[in-house]
Amino acid sequence: MSITVVGVNHRTAPLAVRERFAHAPHEVSASLARVLSVGAEGGVLLSTCNRTEFYLSAAQDAAPAAVSALLADRLGTGQPAAGYTYTHRDRAAVRHLYRVSAGLDSMILGESQIQGQVRDAWELSRAQAGPVLHRLFQSALLVGSRVRSETTLGAGTASAPSAAVELAGKIFGTLKGKAALILGAGDTAELAATCLRAEGVQVTVVANRSIDRARAVAERHGASALTLDDAWEQFAAVDIVLCSTAAPHTVVTWAHVAGPIGRRGGRQLCILDLAVPRDVDTAVGQLENVFLYDIDDLQAVAAHGAAQRRAEIPKAEDIVEQEVATFWTWHDGLAVVPVIKEFRSRLDAVRAAELERTLKHLGHLSLEDRAQIERFSQSLLNKFLHEPTRALKAAAENGRGYALLEAVRRLFGFGSDA
Amino acid sequence: MLFNLHLIALGLYGVAAALALQAFAGGRSTARPLALAVPSAGAAFHVAGVAQLALVGVAPALSMLALFLVLLQLVSERVFRASAVALFTAPLATGLVGLALLLGLAPGAEPLRGGNAWLISHITLSVLGLALLALAFIAAALYLLQFRELKAKRFGPVFLSFPPLERLDSLNRSALVAGFPALTAGVLLAVGYTVRFAGGIHVDKAQVVWGLFTWLVVGAAVWLRVVRHWAGRRAAVASIAAFAAVLLVYLALKLSAPGAERFL
Repeated sequence: MSITVVGVNHRTAPLAVRERFAHAPHEVSASLARVLSVGAEGGVLLSTCNRTEFYLSAAQDAAPAAVSALLADRLGTGQPAAGYTYTHRDRAAVRHLYRVSAGLDSMILGESQIQGQVRDAWELSRAQAGPVLHRLFQSALLVGSRVRSETTLGAGTASAPSAAVELAGKIFGTLKGKAALILGAGDTAELAATCLRAEGVQVTVVANRSIDRARAVAERHGASALTLDDAWEQFAAVDIVLCSTAAPHTVVTWAHVAGPIGRRGGRQLCILDLAVPRDVDTAVGQLENVFLYDIDDLQAVAAHGAAQRRAEIPKAEDIVEQEVATFWTWHDGLAVVPVIKEFRSRLDAVRAAELERTLKHLGHLSLEDRAQIERFSQSLLNKFLHEPTRALKAAAENGRGYALLEAVRRLFGFGSDA
Repeated sequence: MLFNLHLIALGLYGVAAALALQAFAGGRSTARPLALAVPSAGAAFHVAGVAQLALVGVAPALSMLALFLVLLQLVSERVFRASAVALFTAPLATGLVGLALLLGLAPGAEPLRGGNAWLISHITLSVLGLALLALAFIAAALYLLQFRELKAKRFGPVFLSFPPLERLDSLNRSALVAGFPALTAGVLLAVGYTVRFAGGIHVDKAQVVWGLFTWLVVGAAVWLRVVRHWAGRRAAVASIAAFAAVLLVYLALKLSAPGAERFL
């Protein structure tokens, strides 16, 4: 049973492309269904601001092409998406997910947010994942935790919101006493708000399309809540605007900012757009004293803090390799189980047939004697099967299961679907 | 002795300049104790050297200006954590001390008479005012460079090693606000000295013109910052324009009315 990942990430596609590929939670199920219909037993879609990846189990050859076609549709330019995608299979696919979960493949090395995103993707795709991907994602979360607890890969500025805080610090020096407006009420917005508050920033307003969600976040941060339409005037008062809405289009336009910025008396305004697709029109960044940064800019900001974390990469990669081996042992064992079952079942059928034939000629035996002979035949079969079963399981655990399975299939004439 | 003290200071300032440039090229700060210790040691030797100078003539003025620049660099580093100021001040101080040594650090041709304290105070405060104007210029230049990098989303050595914008703006403002009273006191002392000890020292018209021009320019810059509440990029551009105007007028006067033994 193969495992395949087809996806795009921040290395293979620019932000403008990634934001078209990004899936909102309500879109995940339909996209997965479309890919699975082409031929795959299970699927999980991991869609974050930096990556859109389809993890597929027992995928037919056409499945990667189906993913590319789906992404090309989202691109909407008539161009193929294949130029942006990568495909990994089996161990490489497992290794890839483990590296993603550990933050080794993140834009900001070692960032911790990705682990929550892997968990969310797994839970969101639970109905379509299938047992292999369930196990894979479960283990990926454990790998992420292990890397973070056994190495310092996640130390320092490792998440997008904390890099955003560092960037704001380059404009304002101390962030203590600065006022912030948060646009959006999702997890990223909340995490960013927490990071800002830790630096002494006062989150004064939380604005969201849904006022109820804005109120919920605002209450936790001692801020007031507004709808997005009422938030634009706040650009004249606050120092930092943090955008992380789930809107599929631009939310903050040049017109929204240009008016209030004139009333700021030359004070700088830092706008941190953590959303994918981006919330803020890029033209806003051309306004005097407005500093606009999106998620791609954070990579460069965090780069200087990455040197220390880079030193931890070998340790983290070792952990990933250990866990890949462990998972693959389990995965190989999966293939052994049906073979052993069929092996036993076929021999048991032979035993039963031969026993029946023999007992026909021994009609004088009592029921108790017949039962005794049947127990003997079963015991004999179990003894014969004990060593081959143990050897198959051991071979699977050692990663050599497929070779032995193939031998068993040929020797006993099993179908290739075993 | 005077020469040797300046020579040692020159060497240490050179090391400080190299450290500052190396830190910038590497995109990270030099160890703070080292960044403070080397110029501090240079300044200590330099103070001892300047104390032996008769403060008349171009060379002593340049030496004193270099000393103030280094002292202000240390204050900037300590108070504003603006170590990048050393990128400008350390090479500048090295060059100024080197030039002073080349010009010769012998006392000026005109002997000092009564009112020595007035004259020393006038020169000291005026040079301090100029050094503060230079610091305001440096902070403004750093501001504009950092501003440009932040706007252009370039996160290289400038972004990494230059201080945040608001801190540079604050340093620029503080330098101007401190420089204006120093220059004002210097001008007032000059007027008082001329009135009280008329004939004590020859004063060129050019010196008076440049002194008053500088005072007016710095006064205008302070007025824009304090009264008109200019800040940020606009204030930085104004500071650079002010410094450039003072420098250009100095050069123009120097060329039109040369006097090798005097400040102008």
